[in-house]
Amino acid sequence: MTTLTQTVDPVSVQIVRNRIACLMDEMQHHFFRSGYSTIVRESRDFSCVIVDAQGRLITSPPMFYHATAYYHLARSILSIYGDNLVDGDVFISNHPYEGFTPHSPDMAIMAPVIVDGKLIAFSAAIAHKADLGGTVPGTSYGAATEMFQEGMLLPPIRFYAAGKLNQDIERLIAANSRQPRVVIGDMRSQTGAVTIGRERMKDLAHEHGIAGIQAIMNEAIDAAGREMGAALKLLPDGESSAQAFLDNDGDRAEAPVKLHVTVRVKDGRVTFDFSQSDDQRRSPVNLRPPQVEGTCFHALIAMINPQLRYSDSARQYVDLILRPGSVVNATPPAPCSNYMKVSQRLIDVLIEALNPFCPGRAAAHAGGSGGSIVVTWGAGPRHAHHNQHEIFGSAYGGTAGQDGASGTTVHMTNLFVTPVEIVETEFPCRVNRFELIPNSGGDGEYRGGLSFQREYLALQPAVVLYRGDKTKFAPSGLSGGKEGRKSRFLVDPDGPNEKQMSANCRVELQAGESFRIEAPGGGGYGDPALRKSGARARDREDGYVT
Amino acid sequence: MTRYRIGIDVGGTHTDMVLVDTLNNSSRVHKLPSTPANPAIAVLEGVQHFIASGIAPADIAFFSHGTTVTTNTLLEMKGARIGVLLNRGMRGILEVQTQAREGWSTFDHFFVKPEPLARPRYVREIAGRMDFSGQEIERLDEAAVREAAQALTADGVTSFAICFLFSFMNKSHEERAAAIIREIAPQSFVSCSSHVLPRIREWPRYSTTMLNAYLAPVLSRYCGDMGRGLDELGVTTRQRFLMQSNGGVMPLSADAEVHTVRTLLSGPAAGVRGASYLLARAQGWRNLVTMDIGGTSCDIAFIEGGEPVEQSEGTLDGRIVGVPAFDIATVAAGGGSIAWTSESGLLEVGPKSAGADPGPVCYGKGGRQPTVTDANVLRGALNPDYFLGGKISLDLDAAKSALNLEIARPMGIDVDAAACGIVRIINARIVDAIRVEAAKKGIDLAGHTLVPFGGAGPVHAAQVAEQLGMRRVLVPRNPGAFSALGLLCSDVRHDYMRSELVDIATLDAAHAETCFASLESEARKEVAVEGLDPDSLVYEREMDMRYAGQGYELQISLAGITRPLDPQALNAIAERFHTEHTNIHGHAARDTSVEIVSYRLRAIVPMPKFAPAKRAAISAETKPAHFNRRTVLLDAGRNIDARVWRRDDLTAGFIADGPAIIEQLDATTIVPDGWRFTSDDDDNLILERIA
Repeated sequence: MTTLTQTVDPVSVQIVRNRIACLMDEMQHHFFRSGYSTIVRESRDFSCVIVDAQGRLITSPPMFYHATAYYHLARSILSIYGDNLVDGDVFISNHPYEGFTPHSPDMAIMAPVIVDGKLIAFSAAIAHKADLGGTVPGTSYGAATEMFQEGMLLPPIRFYAAGKLNQDIERLIAANSRQPRVVIGDMRSQTGAVTIGRERMKDLAHEHGIAGIQAIMNEAIDAAGREMGAALKLLPDGESSAQAFLDNDGDRAEAPVKLHVTVRVKDGRVTFDFSQSDDQRRSPVNLRPPQVEGTCFHALIAMINPQLRYSDSARQYVDLILRPGSVVNATPPAPCSNYMKVSQRLIDVLIEALNPFCPGRAAAHAGGSGGSIVVTWGAGPRHAHHNQHEIFGSAYGGTAGQDGASGTTVHMTNLFVTPVEIVETEFPCRVNRFELIPNSGGDGEYRGGLSFQREYLALQPAVVLYRGDKTKFAPSGLSGGKEGRKSRFLVDPDGPNEKQMSANCRVELQAGESFRIEAPGGGGYGDPALRKSGARARDREDGYVT
Repeated sequence: MTRYRIGIDVGGTHTDMVLVDTLNNSSRVHKLPSTPANPAIAVLEGVQHFIASGIAPADIAFFSHGTTVTTNTLLEMKGARIGVLLNRGMRGILEVQTQAREGWSTFDHFFVKPEPLARPRYVREIAGRMDFSGQEIERLDEAAVREAAQALTADGVTSFAICFLFSFMNKSHEERAAAIIREIAPQSFVSCSSHVLPRIREWPRYSTTMLNAYLAPVLSRYCGDMGRGLDELGVTTRQRFLMQSNGGVMPLSADAEVHTVRTLLSGPAAGVRGASYLLARAQGWRNLVTMDIGGTSCDIAFIEGGEPVEQSEGTLDGRIVGVPAFDIATVAAGGGSIAWTSESGLLEVGPKSAGADPGPVCYGKGGRQPTVTDANVLRGALNPDYFLGGKISLDLDAAKSALNLEIARPMGIDVDAAACGIVRIINARIVDAIRVEAAKKGIDLAGHTLVPFGGAGPVHAAQVAEQLGMRRVLVPRNPGAFSALGLLCSDVRHDYMRSELVDIATLDAAHAETCFASLESEARKEVAVEGLDPDSLVYEREMDMRYAGQGYELQISLAGITRPLDPQALNAIAERFHTEHTNIHGHAARDTSVEIVSYRLRAIVPMPKFAPAKRAAISAETKPAHFNRRTVLLDAGRNIDARVWRRDDLTAGFIADGPAIIEQLDATTIVPDGWRFTSDDDDNLILERIA
């Protein structure tokens, strides 16, 4: 007699869970080591995952940004293709509404894992592409007013059918990109990583049997959920709110965007109510619900226990109230390009709102996104093979007991800085400064982390697109701590024509001109009067405070 | 006479030595407490011990040792005060590092970076710049270098790291700055990033160079002491070596300003080399998990298909080390790990170790805090009257009262339960580490054999294997001296590289041959300076290759490619790259041009290897009998009544079922019930699960 619930041995669950986590690391490794664009191979702006047949994450990837999108993407593929999936199929989508990617430059590639005709899992990766067309190079358009200006849009479609590449689609993508070779190269690397994941999962299924591997994955998902549920039970009941503002809204210096959340806890259930957040905007500051889910789970785990594992069974304990048509639940054709800085800011708001429930665990606001640049290089003796795309970190806010970390990506991002030697080797520019900014961390008993600045000299004409945040609203301090330094984007820094630009701007440079990114610093924690004199002396010695 | 070869493994707690007599291929082992304040003292005492037993110092032909001196200096943050010279405006490289949070939970906003090796006040910015092609675009500010050297030296800096952008393309600024520092501060050490790791991407190169600078004075002093000590003992051979992280040895006289960072895994690499040579290559055990438990830590490594698993870049204590090394994981779990109770009343073991001095309570050398060894004595696993072959008599009562006072009483449990709990915790920690490391590498443990060594390895092995689902354990002949034996199985190995980006389609084969030839001549020069014969060098060539537009390379071996290189050979190399790219990353891009980024040369001076004699087979009449029985408490809290054998009595082919205890001079093996053991003709003790 067969039973529906197969009992599984806890040791196998642990082993398989570790193997899947390691497999995700392995996919990650192959992808960036064989990738072409700097955004993939240097910044590593992508994630690789294995999810079960229902799209549920078993354990989270090192970068949490995309983690909650896979669930919706898998369901979307299932609802379109249903029982029609065969081994060797590979699907792609970059559509924020139909494929649930965060924004259109993020291309998802997802392959069903099918053994003996049975779907057991999906292997997938989401990665930022160098260019998928649209109004501006790099596709992320800070002044977009609808998604159709944000490049080509692919709903979930079949890219490989039973192992055979649909070359028409590859040609279609190439024809829509300003950088077809780089984009197609990265598509191949990404498909390669997803294929590795699929084949290893098949091996695991053969080893444990189909029913066995399904039972094991179920138990791994449930176990992580139970751990989360138990941790949430310890939270006191109550209600708390917090809010913050985004600088502006695309290129137009319009009204600041309010992000507001009320957190309610009752008997270990947590409700995040975003009803009082602003209406969606015409500019690309809008979030899709998967991204909001990601920020909520990130903040929860950060506050209750950062060592907790995330699996998609955590969803059962959490309710989100996302008003349709608001900035946290946009409807088409609202553009989404700048989702990253919005998510980062939202996490700070969530952490602040959760502070009363988890005393001593909160951090002052982080610098958030340090901004990003896309540089298109013009004519000159050197030929840049592709756009220069860099993403900058900032600094953490102070916490009860320690200063915020300086010069780092924060919260959901875990991106690598592009080495100076790579930048100068591949692009006709020179990096003249790469330094921490003294005094950029907010004062407090525990100081905010220092952010950094990077200054570039153009050796050929260039068009620079910059997208940042916190030029107007500084990262807040907490519990009496002071705010961190605002960000700045300067053209001709320290020169006769120095000019501070807006948080979303496009700048044309001639050879010999320069620009500088100054990322925002972390907020301070606690009353500055309580800061130990030794810590102040050391800050002065190290030049962190002048 | 070139009769004797000595291998010495310096651990945190014990220094183990082995002397091989090449006349009859016999070996002798010796063990003594380490002298952490100056590890050379124990090494020299050990050599003295062999000399005192009648070995003529002039007959010692070969001396090799593994050391944890650099690793421990780093972990304890006791390296030199270093000064760092950077390009103007580039301090952010040291602060931002990779910008990412590797090794941390992505959710944890309590993230901290490792303590800097050089505080900002010891970091100086120097004008002068190379561009990406190695062209000078700004002259080096020599006056600023001079000023920095004087000021930093006055501030107590004894070692400098020179880290300039694009030095891997053009070393001249770094080398000029080094020369100026040497003029001003001739006693200082100077590590140039272009010498330590001539490779693109500044942060891994700088991190590795700063580590080299931080540790070079320590290693240099140590090697100097060692060399003088050997001279004083009358040892005349120039063949004096130090194990490197890559499993090859380098001469004691090797240049510390370049090679220090290659010794960070010196200690643990020796045992892995021993396993890969003695067990894998010589005896055919292809898939092994090595578990080296000493007094302070447990080192875990894997041998797959006969070769140790390597990594081209690793991290130690959160710091990037960009040189090739065996992939070895270390957990704080050793015989000397101290057991204690936390404020919340939980039993904790380690990470502190009682080391050699005072050592475990039962050593009777003044130790008061109970250790894993004390727990092992109390549970009957170790024989108090036969520890180190009876050389040290263990004080059972002292161990018992310490365990009672520190653990049992505060926790309200009995002493047996406390001993049992300590062993359970330490076993579980090792089990978890092996499981995670195996999973990371995609290794299925079921097909592997666990090889315990180090003094404390065999006593824990069967229970660790059982929890990992492994069915076989191999205890080598001299577990306590196995790492020392590994030192007698290693070749001298130096790695060289030269970066020069070129499309393989436009590469002149003769030029490529010249590049390799220049690395070969560099190797010949270095080996000659080290007192070795350049004519004995064997070379392995590799190229770092990628598709145009990629940022990372694959290391492609040129084994079997004709030399000197010709156009056909280059075609064959390109073909090999496409195939490897498919094998490793799952896809190839034959329509894209292929670039060569670096030429790599591994230069090897082969050394004679230890080859132990086979063990005589058993005859029916000489079947060894156990000489005793004793009760052992297993970690699950279960008592077993075990028969006790002496390892020396076991002849090849002897088989018996557990429960059993096999005692030998340098280790004790526990065979639980459900296991069978046999002694094979290579003199290994093989434990196999039968239930």
